[in-house]
Amino acid sequence: MAWIPRFITFTGLVLLAHAGYSAQEHAALASTTAQHSNQAGTSTSLPIDISIETIVATMAVCIGLVLNTPNLRPIQWNVWAGKIEREGAEGFRDSSGAVEKDYRGNPFSTLESRPGFVDIRKQRREFAEWAKSEST
Amino acid sequence: MSIERENQIHPIVTESTLSNLYSLTSSLFGVTAGILGLESYNGFLLYLVLSVITTIFVYVVKVLPESLSEGRSIGDTERFFKGALQFWSGGLASGMPGFVLTWTLFYGLVRV
Repeated sequence: MAWIPRFITFTGLVLLAHAGYSAQEHAALASTTAQHSNQAGTSTSLPIDISIETIVATMAVCIGLVLNTPNLRPIQWNVWAGKIEREGAEGFRDSSGAVEKDYRGNPFSTLESRPGFVDIRKQRREFAEWAKSEST
Repeated sequence: MSIERENQIHPIVTESTLSNLYSLTSSLFGVTAGILGLESYNGFLLYLVLSVITTIFVYVVKVLPESLSEGRSIGDTERFFKGALQFWSGGLASGMPGFVLTWTLFYGLVRV
């Protein structure tokens, strides 16, 4: 389902390019007409269909971009961290179903596994006893 | 309570995913205003109106479903933003330079 926002955005951009080209052609035509006809004050305002096309194209691109934005995060840290702890990576899927790129997992992982606080002497002693029991 | 202490007791997630959207859409609105050939206040009025419409889209698509599932009432943006003012006017000032840039560019491109 990830292609729907992109398709909307692309359609809107094509429409916008077409509207821009039409407006430019209209401006060029209007200036030439004004040169060749001697009467001043000819109407050079944009035709209504180009205006409508521009507005519709803008709205389409806008909807496509909004649908394509990644999900928002709860601003309160405890709500956000609670969501991560309850749902894990499942709660951070974007519209295409893939896990978001900047999903980092537990925000407290640096606090929960601090290498500087590991009791290395105890682990070394346990390893020595295990190695001794294996060798006998 | 001072803001600093408030932030220490209730920390906030500062990552905002919407600034990218607003920079893109404001440039797009500049293209629109340039093609339409708007001048002076009309262009800024168009920017204001289209930005508000974009924010309504964002609210309906992104904010409303999760806020309702959390049990908040309609119109409450406190789950994702510090206040209603920050949500509804957050992208206006940051997108303005990009808007004026593309507005003048496309105005000049279309009307030689």
